[in-house]
Amino acid sequence: MRKNTQYLITSLILLSFLISACGQLSGILPGQTVDVSIIYGSEKQAWLEPLVKQFNEAKNTTAEGKVIVIQAIPMGSIETERGINDGSLQPVVWSPASSVYLPVANSNWKLTHSDDLFSGNQSDLVLSPVVIAMWRPMAQALGWPDKDIGWSDIANLAISEEGWSAYGHPEWGKFKFGHTHPEYSNSGIVSIIAEAYAGAKKVRGLTEADLQSQEVIEFMTAVEKSIIHYGTSTGFFGDRMFERGPSYLSAAVLYENLVVDQESKRISGESSQIPVVAIYPKEGTFWSNHPYVILNAPWVSAEQKEAAELFKTYLLDKPQQLLALEYGFRPADPSIPLISPLDTQHGVDISQPKTILEVPNADVISGVLDLWRETKKPVDLVVVMDISGSMAGDKITSARSSLMDFINNLDNNDRLQIILFSSDITTLTSLTELRSKRQNVLDSVSGIFEGGDTRLYDATLQAYQDLSQNGDPNHIRAIVVLSDGDDTASQNTLDQIMYEINESAGEGGNAIKIFSIAFGDGADTDILQQIAIPTGGKQYDSSPENIKKIYDEIATFF
Amino acid sequence: MLLFVIFSLVSIGVLIASLISPSIREIAYAPLRELILPPPTPIVVEVLYSTEKVAWLNDVIGDFESTHPKVNGHPIQIELEKMGSWEIYNAVLDGSRKPVIISPASSLQIAALQDASTAQFGMSLVNPADAQSCHSVVTTPLVLVSWKERSEVLWDKQPSRSMWRDLHDVLVNPQGWAIYSQPDWGYVKFGHTDPLKSNSGFMTILLMTYGYFQTNDGLTSSDILSNAAFQQWFLEMERTISRFEHSTGPLMDKMITYGPSTYDLITVYESTAIEQAENAVGRYGELRVYYPPSLLWSDHPFCIVNADWVSEDQRKASQIFIDYLTSKPAQELALFKYGYRPVDTSIQLDQAGSPFDKYASTGILADLGKIPEVEIPSGSVLNALREFWSRNVNR
Repeated sequence: MRKNTQYLITSLILLSFLISACGQLSGILPGQTVDVSIIYGSEKQAWLEPLVKQFNEAKNTTAEGKVIVIQAIPMGSIETERGINDGSLQPVVWSPASSVYLPVANSNWKLTHSDDLFSGNQSDLVLSPVVIAMWRPMAQALGWPDKDIGWSDIANLAISEEGWSAYGHPEWGKFKFGHTHPEYSNSGIVSIIAEAYAGAKKVRGLTEADLQSQEVIEFMTAVEKSIIHYGTSTGFFGDRMFERGPSYLSAAVLYENLVVDQESKRISGESSQIPVVAIYPKEGTFWSNHPYVILNAPWVSAEQKEAAELFKTYLLDKPQQLLALEYGFRPADPSIPLISPLDTQHGVDISQPKTILEVPNADVISGVLDLWRETKKPVDLVVVMDISGSMAGDKITSARSSLMDFINNLDNNDRLQIILFSSDITTLTSLTELRSKRQNVLDSVSGIFEGGDTRLYDATLQAYQDLSQNGDPNHIRAIVVLSDGDDTASQNTLDQIMYEINESAGEGGNAIKIFSIAFGDGADTDILQQIAIPTGGKQYDSSPENIKKIYDEIATFF
Repeated sequence: MLLFVIFSLVSIGVLIASLISPSIREIAYAPLRELILPPPTPIVVEVLYSTEKVAWLNDVIGDFESTHPKVNGHPIQIELEKMGSWEIYNAVLDGSRKPVIISPASSLQIAALQDASTAQFGMSLVNPADAQSCHSVVTTPLVLVSWKERSEVLWDKQPSRSMWRDLHDVLVNPQGWAIYSQPDWGYVKFGHTDPLKSNSGFMTILLMTYGYFQTNDGLTSSDILSNAAFQQWFLEMERTISRFEHSTGPLMDKMITYGPSTYDLITVYESTAIEQAENAVGRYGELRVYYPPSLLWSDHPFCIVNADWVSEDQRKASQIFIDYLTSKPAQELALFKYGYRPVDTSIQLDQAGSPFDKYASTGILADLGKIPEVEIPSGSVLNALREFWSRNVNR
């Protein structure tokens, strides 16, 4: 009996140890994690990415002991809003580049949901004003730093046929301006809101009625006329400008931190460009404040919210905030002073901006977007499509349907030419406005079938020559070439194409751009890259699975 | 041997007795007590308090716990939960929370709760007239904070008696700073917090209302709900504010991080301004603090809730906690570290090293004796103002 009691006690003790050990272990057993997905504006990628890694490696846990795993994906802010609202993106946290678009996001959300998309006020992670980044000599020609420069000056430059000649610099050619695509990126939308304000000669209280006024429409059309192309993300736009230099782009709407980052690279010798400065528009600007929005969506659980809060606290802790300063951001932690690299040596002025523009309500923002669609610079586009025998099967089907989607995204006043190539080169439609021919073109595209050789060079050269001859230099001019293999039957050579491209180099950012798509494994990526990169275009690797996405990205340039 | 037996028996006796009465636990042989006896049940005091004092309370609570406070041998366990002042009001009134102590940022919420709970339950959940159950622990007035560079252009030294009316006029003027020959500063930007969520925002709209009527007392519900000229004036001013932060700390943070481009002037507590005075210099320059022509105080009352869910022991424990908060060490900490005005009047405000001495150049005054105060209106007037704002401004 006594032995039995002893045995029972020992068993009980062992059991209790086992239970408590299991409690300890539960945190590290597989499956005992909380995944937190974050979609964020790409401008803070350099700062955020290493912090995500560091946080994950530290195996931080929730109150229940579950290990938090953060997964962060950079994406254009406006694009993300669309994804969240159509359900194709389901992140736990959304950290767009600014709060400007949050009311629009919420009002779209409320069309199908009873609750708000987010509750309370959001914390800012880091701050950076929206600026016009301009090459220093050009800014000086405009009177910087003694004279205040604003959106109205940009408009005057854009309207003037003389371009930089009016400022004593004929050698700089036309004024070439850029901002990102407002349907994809935050800096794009704030650019066009600022344009609308400047056109209405207001700094607050922009109304839908203002957007109907002739002055605003003309002003916006004038500024947009100087755009060399749009683009999907501000970070990419900055890279473009800083890689290609002043002949490509005179100025672009960027964030202050991108100017600081570039100037740090120039000072360290990593970049050999001339200096760039941040111009704070005198009428006022907007802040890129990187709000950390924990979504109040059905797919977000309570423990994900808890984990997301912990990651937010980590990002707002002093060491992480100090790091943000190094990347050129103004920290959200008020106790961190604005010191180097936020200084004139790095092209910025922390006593600026002096004022901001009032963020309009959701309806006015949507109205500005509508107005932009009407006033944006049209595109003259030539699509060059490989229909050789090797395109058989999935390839031709997906190429056809994604091209049709692409055409649907073009505006009525855009002009489109389509060239098909195999053993022959056929012009499916010549360069005319899409307005009246859209349905006919779509019908023709749906009937495309494959067969024959690959005359890539001949077709590309023809597209280039046609566009040089027939395209309007006041439009964005671009060629999209899709090919799945090596050239097998051309009479022309790659050199002849390169010769034509080099001939146009003087036009800088206004030159014809080639976007090339290497479709499938058989395509010659090198050659496609060679014809795209010097024009300011881009080369993409693609497959039937992602061709639609590639076309979508190309569309952001126009 | 005999001694050992006696000792053991006494120890066991004490241990058994202390199971019945925890106050005896203290005299039990400590090693045995900790090993054998279950810990006595603590007296839990749940405190819903306003967010402004989070840093001070977090500092003080550790010191308080290290004194091992007890009631009848039961340790006192303070559970602090921060909330917006009006959230506290709502949570208690709708019965979703049953705390022992509430401490909103000011007596405004207590006045409103007194009226509303009496109307709803036939008895008041708070008793501000009784100093034993409702006690202010620190105070700080609502102030206007601006950037020195800008305020020097706006007001020479002290704004006039008609400050609120002057402010209205400059805010709605489409010329903005151009009327002061500073066109590059854009329009004049004012900010306060959401009055439905945050006390400082509510204090602001109450002072604005008094400012419109140019009086310090006698405000009635019909002044607010039936006077069209007042309503127009009030709404014009509120429409110039594009965003209402939910609490005071974040609003002040934003003033410092965004700078004068975004906020020319905001209303916050004097203590909040003090807390950020140094940070401001590292960002966009010196701050300037102005006292409105008539004051309203955030007096941080700690009120023991007058309800059947509060036990006698909890009441006693609360009293001990409140006594600690008003003791000299806690009060000095509130002054030196957080810029509050202690309720312990023996502590001199502008002594060397105190923020009132350190930041005197920003316009912070230790002696506010000459500035009149406004009367706290009845709960129904306060609720009328909240209702009016909620219906016409809330966004």
